[in-house]
Formats: sequence, C-alpha cells, structure tokens
Amino acid sequence: MKSMGKGLAAAVLGCCLLGATVSGAAEPAAEQGCREAVALLKERNVQISGDLRRIQREIAALRADLDRPAAKDIVGGIGYIFGLFGVAAFVASRRKEH
Amino acid sequence: MHISDGVLPISVTIGGYAASSALAAWSVRRTEAEALPKLAVMTAAFFVASLVHVPFGPTSVHLLLAGLTGALLGASAFLAIGLGLILQSLLFQFGGLTALGANALMMGLPALACGWLFQTFKGAAPTRQAVLGGVAGAAGSTLSAIALAALLATGGEDFFGVAKIALAAHVPVILIEGAVGAFTVGFLARVKPELLKPAFTRRAGAPHG
Repeated sequence: MKSMGKGLAAAVLGCCLLGATVSGAAEPAAEQGCREAVALLKERNVQISGDLRRIQREIAALRADLDRPAAKDIVGGIGYIFGLFGVAAFVASRRKEH
Repeated sequence: MHISDGVLPISVTIGGYAASSALAAWSVRRTEAEALPKLAVMTAAFFVASLVHVPFGPTSVHLLLAGLTGALLGASAFLAIGLGLILQSLLFQFGGLTALGANALMMGLPALACGWLFQTFKGAAPTRQAVLGGVAGAAGSTLSAIALAALLATGGEDFFGVAKIALAAHVPVILIEGAVGAFTVGFLARVKPELLKPAFTRRAGAPHG
C-alpha cells in the first residue's frame, strides 16, 4: 500500500514535470526530469509487482491450508463420535432397566 | 480413497444408499450395549486415520483402517465406518454426501469380510492373532481398492485399469496397514484379549470388557 502511494506520488510528479515541459522553458532540463521520473516509476513498478507476487504466493499457501482439515474439525469430530455413542449407551442402559 | 460427488451414476448412488442403510441397520441390531465403548474408540480411530497421509510420489495416500476396524468390531464395523464416513464428509469434505452410500459400501464390505476372516481363523495363540490381524489390515485396503474399481466401473470406467492404478497407489498403505494391524492385534492379544472376542456371535450375559 505504502509503495503504491509512493508510486502515485511519483506519477503526479512526472505529470507536473510534463506540464512544465509544455509551458516550455528549458527543453533539455525538462527532458532530463521526465526521464528521471520514468526511471522512478519503472523502479516502483518492479517493486510493486514483486510485492504482488509475494501476496499471490501467500494466498495460494492459505488456500492450501484451508483445504486441510483444521484441528478443531478433528477434535469436533471425535467429540461427535463419543457423544453419539454416549447417547446410544445411555439409551441401551435405560432399555435394559425397564 | 473416497468417491466424490457426481462421479457415480444416479442408480448406483441410490442403490449404494439403500444397501448401506440395510447393512447399517443389520449392524446396529448386532451391536451389544457392552461393545459401545470399544465401538466409539474404533470409530474415532477410523475417523482420524484418514488424516494420516503417506507420501507416495507426487501425490499422497492416506490410511483407511477398514481391515483393522472389521477385525476388532466384527458386525458392528459397518456402523463404525458409516458414522466415521459421515463425519469425514461433513467436517473434512472427504468424499461427497451423495456418494456416502457407495463410500460406506466400499469400505464397510471389506471391513465385514476382514472381520469374518479374523474371527474365523484367529485361533488362540497371540502370535497367530497378530499375524492374522496384519493380514486383515492389509486385506482391508486391498479389497477397498478393488471395491473402488468396481464402483467406478459402473460409471463407465475400465475396471481393470482403475483397479491396477488404485492397487498400485495403495501399495504403501497396504503395507503400513498390515504393520498397524499386526501391531495393534498383537498388543491387544497380550494386554486385553477380551477385546478380540468373537463379535459376530451374540453373547448372552457377557462380562464387561
């Protein structure tokens, strides 16, 4: 997010410099500034795409984790099994009494 | 080894549900109140065993424990496997809910077969029981793989092709289940032999295990 903001700021700066060029003062200086801005933007672009790739990797890892059953599912399932058999044992014992 | 939703034709799905409900009802009737704690523990073990993954090449296969469940529970094994599969399907998304009947047949029938095998030939010596437990464990997975091929064959797959792949993929599982079965039954035969009593025959006034 932060680097994206920086990228935006750099883009705005580039646009300002371009505007300065159109208003037409020292041509070579403006061209120099423009080139710098483009270089800055490219650098930011590389950074952002690196960040994006990392985030995509993280999402894929999270998705793989989601596919795997969580500990609470396992414990819950065992609880269900013991609970159901507990009820069955209770009913069986009641039936035996009567 | 779970069949997912939409793989089997509808007739097989419905037939699987009908056959497995009938078998489950039979299994409930053969279950005694004294056996319920053992049944609960084995159901929990079967439920969790599917999470034990064995790496095999690029994929991994998981334990089934159908054979061992059958050997220890006898006729009640079908109930244990049915309940375990319902919970696996609901909580782990292993196998579809519509294929539940077919899945129960695929693992429950081998379990019953292994239970019958174990109870018929187990004898009295702990070593023999341990060996037979290992055989039952390995046979459970083998028969389940064959049952999987048979069920998928109803969906238009080639029976021998699927059977070959399923068996090849489950060779490590078959070996591990054999070892687990031999170890478990051998241990129980030494420590608590009452747990290995015939579970297919009704006992009158059996003492608490």
